[in-house]
Amino acid sequence: MTTPAAPPPPGPPGSPRRPAAGIRLDKVGKRFRGGVDAVRDLDLAIEPGEFIVLVGPSGCGKSTVLRMIAGLEEVSSGRIFLGDADVTNELPQRRDVAMVFQSYALYPRMTVKKNMAFGLRMRGVGRAERDQRVAAVARTLGLDHLLERRPAALSGGQRQRVAMGRAIVREPRVFLMDEPLSNLDAKLRVTVRAQLTLLHQRLGVTTVYVTHDQVEAMTLGQRVAVLRDGLLQQFASPRALFRAPVNLFVAAFIGSPAMNFVAATLAGGRVSFAGHSVALPADSPLAAADRPVILGVRPTAFGPAGTGGWPEFAVTPAVIEELGDERYVLFDLDAPRVDTDATRAALDARSSDDALLLPDQARARFTARLPADLAIAIGDQLTVSVDPRRLYFFDPDSGAALS
Amino acid sequence: MLRRLRAWGPGLLLISPSLIALAVFVYGFLGWNIRVSLSSWRGLLPAHDFVGLANYTALASDPRFMQYDVPNIAIFTVVFVAGSLVVGFVLALLLDRAEFGQHALRSLYLFPMAISFIATAIIWRWLMDNGGGESTTGLNKLLVDAGLGSLRSDWFKSSSRWAIAAIALPAGWSLSGYVMSLFLAGMRGVPEELREAARVDGASEPRVFWHVVRPMLLPVLMSAVVILAHISLKTFDLFYAMDQKNIKIDTPALYMWFTTFDGGFYARGAAIAALLLLGVATVIVPYIWYSVRAERVK
Amino acid sequence: MTAAPARGHGRIRSPWAPYTTTARYLALFALACLFILPVYALLVTALKLPAEVSVVRMWQWPHELSLDNFRIVWPKLRDGFGNSVAMALPASALSSLLGAANGFVLSKWRFPGADFAFALILFGMFIPYQAVLIPMFQTMSASGLRGGLSGLIMVHVIYGLPITTLIFRSYFAGISDELIEAARVDGAGMLRTFAFVALPIAPPAFAVAMIWQFTSAWNDFLFGVLLTNKDRWPITVALNNIAGSQAVPFNEAMASALLACLPTLAVYVVLGRFFLRGLMAGALKG
Repeated sequence: MTTPAAPPPPGPPGSPRRPAAGIRLDKVGKRFRGGVDAVRDLDLAIEPGEFIVLVGPSGCGKSTVLRMIAGLEEVSSGRIFLGDADVTNELPQRRDVAMVFQSYALYPRMTVKKNMAFGLRMRGVGRAERDQRVAAVARTLGLDHLLERRPAALSGGQRQRVAMGRAIVREPRVFLMDEPLSNLDAKLRVTVRAQLTLLHQRLGVTTVYVTHDQVEAMTLGQRVAVLRDGLLQQFASPRALFRAPVNLFVAAFIGSPAMNFVAATLAGGRVSFAGHSVALPADSPLAAADRPVILGVRPTAFGPAGTGGWPEFAVTPAVIEELGDERYVLFDLDAPRVDTDATRAALDARSSDDALLLPDQARARFTARLPADLAIAIGDQLTVSVDPRRLYFFDPDSGAALS
Repeated sequence: MLRRLRAWGPGLLLISPSLIALAVFVYGFLGWNIRVSLSSWRGLLPAHDFVGLANYTALASDPRFMQYDVPNIAIFTVVFVAGSLVVGFVLALLLDRAEFGQHALRSLYLFPMAISFIATAIIWRWLMDNGGGESTTGLNKLLVDAGLGSLRSDWFKSSSRWAIAAIALPAGWSLSGYVMSLFLAGMRGVPEELREAARVDGASEPRVFWHVVRPMLLPVLMSAVVILAHISLKTFDLFYAMDQKNIKIDTPALYMWFTTFDGGFYARGAAIAALLLLGVATVIVPYIWYSVRAERVK
Repeated sequence: MTAAPARGHGRIRSPWAPYTTTARYLALFALACLFILPVYALLVTALKLPAEVSVVRMWQWPHELSLDNFRIVWPKLRDGFGNSVAMALPASALSSLLGAANGFVLSKWRFPGADFAFALILFGMFIPYQAVLIPMFQTMSASGLRGGLSGLIMVHVIYGLPITTLIFRSYFAGISDELIEAARVDGAGMLRTFAFVALPIAPPAFAVAMIWQFTSAWNDFLFGVLLTNKDRWPITVALNNIAGSQAVPFNEAMASALLACLPTLAVYVVLGRFFLRGLMAGALKG
């Protein structure tokens, strides 16, 4: 029988009883039987109370990392710290983390109330206090009329809330969430996402959230860790990921709509691609560079002709998507489509909501966001301008961002 | 109408030989047996008269049936079912988390199911031999040699009311492996994520089992009880080969056999058989109905 | 707890782990010994020289291993053995084939009342055979099928139908419906679908059904003793006859029991995993 952690000082329900704990992963690696390295050399420092998201394509190791933090997977190398304590070899029972599973993992033979009270019961909390805490959390999540039901009698959304409630009521030092929204329909997902953010603001518990959906990652995370093939690509705020991606994969994976790529050459302070040539800003660190690159441009970096001093070039729209206030113009460039491991992996990993990407093309196809009141017609020549300060350059071999 | 017939016609046709065979050999014979039980057939020539429930009322005052058969089968069923459940459950519990040798050990506990009850009876008859003094043998000899001579027993040859419980030993030996397999399958049916959730919630392994796994084993328990109970009522070979002439461990199945084919009391035998059917049906029919319905709901 | 970096693959071990593991395996070993005890007695006795067999030394290992006992009992068992083979093999093959057809229809070829038909078939698996013994005796005697093996085979086939149907029904239920529909679109009727689509993928289920039925027919006593004459006794009846009386020496009894069990044990050892599946099929995990 495990002994529960020392009883915490009493506090009003809804506020954390203990100060939130930071998490530190120190060169953590996980090797499965058969020699597969699911996680390699991961260094991650999470501040107390932070909401961070682990994101990446399936198989990138994000769930494994989460499970190692929970103690459900043994660590092959490295250490894990919760707060100040080294918990690398600690049983999950003793780590004081709460986890929301992708399938919710609600105990089928227990009522909602018993499900939520289970963790408290295991830690020796008395019945009166259990009931009170469960009732409070149930009220917050709108579950109070469901307390006597069994999971089988609940809808998917209700089950998800029970799973969350079970974690919240324990007032742990860390929340772990493994794709908790992926089984919900799109509308519900958006609603619950907002609720999660509100909940985090109220409770202030350190949260590690795993998802494969980069949109979810960007909207929920205070900082986002992008993983690929077991390696950490970048760990930064959504803004930093968006504005300063550290390599091709991150640039291709993060941000909606997705970044456009084309092979290009830097020479004499200009970047040339597909028969076009654009001047770099004079103060650009790459002004003196002379090398092949991959050029990346976000659709939002385009503008109509004549936008404040931006370089321009002529294109022929192939597809126009009207979205009311804005429109997306797709045009082809006379250059092969950029198709590296990184871009392909990123493309596979993106959700199908990004319908603006048409990956089966031989030629590079760009998407530009332009004002809706512009007169554009398919087939007609169109002049677009591009913000020279928002051009990204990547090494064609390593994919690393150049600066 | 014709199209629907053409749709399921071939199917019905293909299974009709089986359906007909079973209709005759199961339901037809069952009915026939009941018919015989309502007659006064004694001796070589069947009688086709109708005597109502006379055979059944006769059984109710039949000393062999009421003093030996009914209590014996009740005792045997309880001891056998309970014993097999306990042993099978313990085996499953031990094997569920065993890291190596699981497959080999499982096969070991299960193998008695592969041998016939006759062979089982022959072996265990010797093991439970109640010879004394110089001719102590079998389990008694082991007990005496191990210094546990006080546990020595007459087993099924004892004059105690519970003599028949000794036969639950070979029966349990044969079927505990089956119960173990059922429970193991049930335990495997619990998703690992549920156990993980319980661990994260702070439950130690024993508590994980008690709160999460155990409640989900109820259907398995029910299956096991039903199947074991019906086997218990049906068992004939084991008793026949162990000690058929010993009236102290007589059972309805044995009585039915001897009174019919030795004594020629066909009608009485049919009545006993019909009662056995009733006993089995009371547990099996709800069980089948519940299983088929639960399957449909899925 | 001071941490050295862990290097494992599985779950984190609790500090109690070494103790629980030891206790677990001790218990398993003890139970294994208990289970093997009868087999040990059987082997040890059967392999002793007839002269060495004694009540007092029954648990002791033979001074000299000998096959004499087998030589003594085999002539008495040989006919029974042959009869059982001649009966169990056709019975299991036939009831498996019919079971395959039934299972296929009941799982893939929907018709109203299919579930009810299945329940009716299933009940046949559970009935106490005492309740059909007298009518069977009358029928078999009257039709002349009593005494020889063909009556016994027929009975085993028919009463084996419920379990083989169950096995195949579960098996085919796990096969995608689209396979059948594709065949239908290709113009195959039910019989052809069964023969060319279902049967070719059915060998694993056949293994399960045949092994289960073979074991069941081989080990049967009740039908054997009722429906055959002395020259056609299956091995269980022969065994009971030889070793059933108290007067027979232990060594012969044990040797004959061993011989009688060999085929089913051999099947179990070699093809045990199919045996287990048959076992589980009968549990109706509804």
